[in-house]
Amino acid sequence: MTELVERFVALPDIFAASPIFAIGLTLSAFFAGNWLFARMGRPVWMPPVVLSAVMLAAVIAVLSVDYVRYQEGALWITVLLGPATVALGIPLYQQIHHIRAMWIPIVVTLPLAATMAAVYAVVIAWAMGATPEVLASLAPKSVTAPIAIGITEQLGGSVPLMMGGLLITGVVATLFVDLLAKWLPVEDERILGFALGLNGHAIGTARAFEISHTAGAFASLGMGLTGVFTALILPLVFRL
Amino acid sequence: MSMLRGFLILVLFFLFGEALRLVFLIPVSGGVLGMILMTLTLMLRGRVSDALASSSQALISILVLLIMPGVVGVFFMASQFSGQWLAVSAALLLGTFLSVLTTLLLMKSMVRLSARSQAND
Repeated sequence: MTELVERFVALPDIFAASPIFAIGLTLSAFFAGNWLFARMGRPVWMPPVVLSAVMLAAVIAVLSVDYVRYQEGALWITVLLGPATVALGIPLYQQIHHIRAMWIPIVVTLPLAATMAAVYAVVIAWAMGATPEVLASLAPKSVTAPIAIGITEQLGGSVPLMMGGLLITGVVATLFVDLLAKWLPVEDERILGFALGLNGHAIGTARAFEISHTAGAFASLGMGLTGVFTALILPLVFRL
Repeated sequence: MSMLRGFLILVLFFLFGEALRLVFLIPVSGGVLGMILMTLTLMLRGRVSDALASSSQALISILVLLIMPGVVGVFFMASQFSGQWLAVSAALLLGTFLSVLTTLLLMKSMVRLSARSQAND
C-alpha cells in the first residue's frame, strides 16, 4: 500500500519530464479559463487569458513542477506562435480595402503613438529612479515578444524582466482600450483594433479578434508596424 | 488534409522570414517578416486559397492558448522586480494608460480629419 502511494507521489516528477504533460496542463487551463470567463458573465476587466494564467500558475506551484521544465515542455505550444504570426497576414490581406481607405491616419498615428508608448514608460520609470537596465527592459513593452527579445538584448536590458513587463502591458492595454472606448467614446472597430495591436501586441490582437474580423486585422497591422518601427528606431534613440 | 496543407504554407513563410532575418541580420522577428511577405504575396495573387484561410483562422483562434505559457512566467519572476517594483508598475500601468489614450485620440482625430478632407474633394 505504501509503495502504491510512493509511486503515486512520484508521478508529477515523471510527468513533468514529458512535453505532453505541459501540453495537457496548458490546454486544461485554457479551457477552464474560458469556462470561468463565461460563467462570470464575460467581465471586461478580467480577460480569459488572465484567468487561465492564474489557474495554470496555481497548478504549477501546487504540484511543485519546475517552471523552467514546464516551459521546455510548453515549447511545443509556443513554437506555433511563429506560424500564427504569419497567419495574421491573411486577415490583413482580406481587410486591405479598409486599410487602404485609412492609410493617412495610420501613417500619422503609428510613429507618434509607437514612440510615445516607449517614452511614457521610460520617463516614468526614470523619474522614479529605475536603473538603466530596467529602463532598457521596459522600453520595448508594447512590442510583440519575438521582436522585443531582440531589442532588449541590443539595449542591454534583462529579457525575463522585459517579458514580464510585456505581458502586464498586453493585459492592461486590453483593459484600458475597453475602458477608454466607453469614456471617449470611440466606437470605430478599426480604431479600437489598431490601438489594441499597437499598445497590447499579441494579447491585444487576440482580444481584437474577439471584437470582429476587421478589428483583428487592424490589430495585426498595428502590432506588425509597431514591432518593425520600434525595432528600427529604439536602438538609435537609446544611444543618444 | 487541406488544413495541414495551409499550415505547411504558414510554416514555409515563417522559415523564409527567419532565413531573411538571420542572413541579413534584420532586427525584426521571422514571424513578422513572414507576415509581411504573406500579405504582399496575397496582394500579388489577388486571392486566398481555402486551405490557407482555414488553417490561419484555426491558429488565430487559439492565439491566447499560444501566449499562455509565456504569460504564466509573470508569476515566477517576482524577485526580478525587487526594489524597483513601484517604478516598474507605475511605468507599466500609467505609461500604458497614457499611450492607449494617445493612440485613440490621435487616431480618432485623424480619421475625422481625413474624412472631412475627402468630403471636400
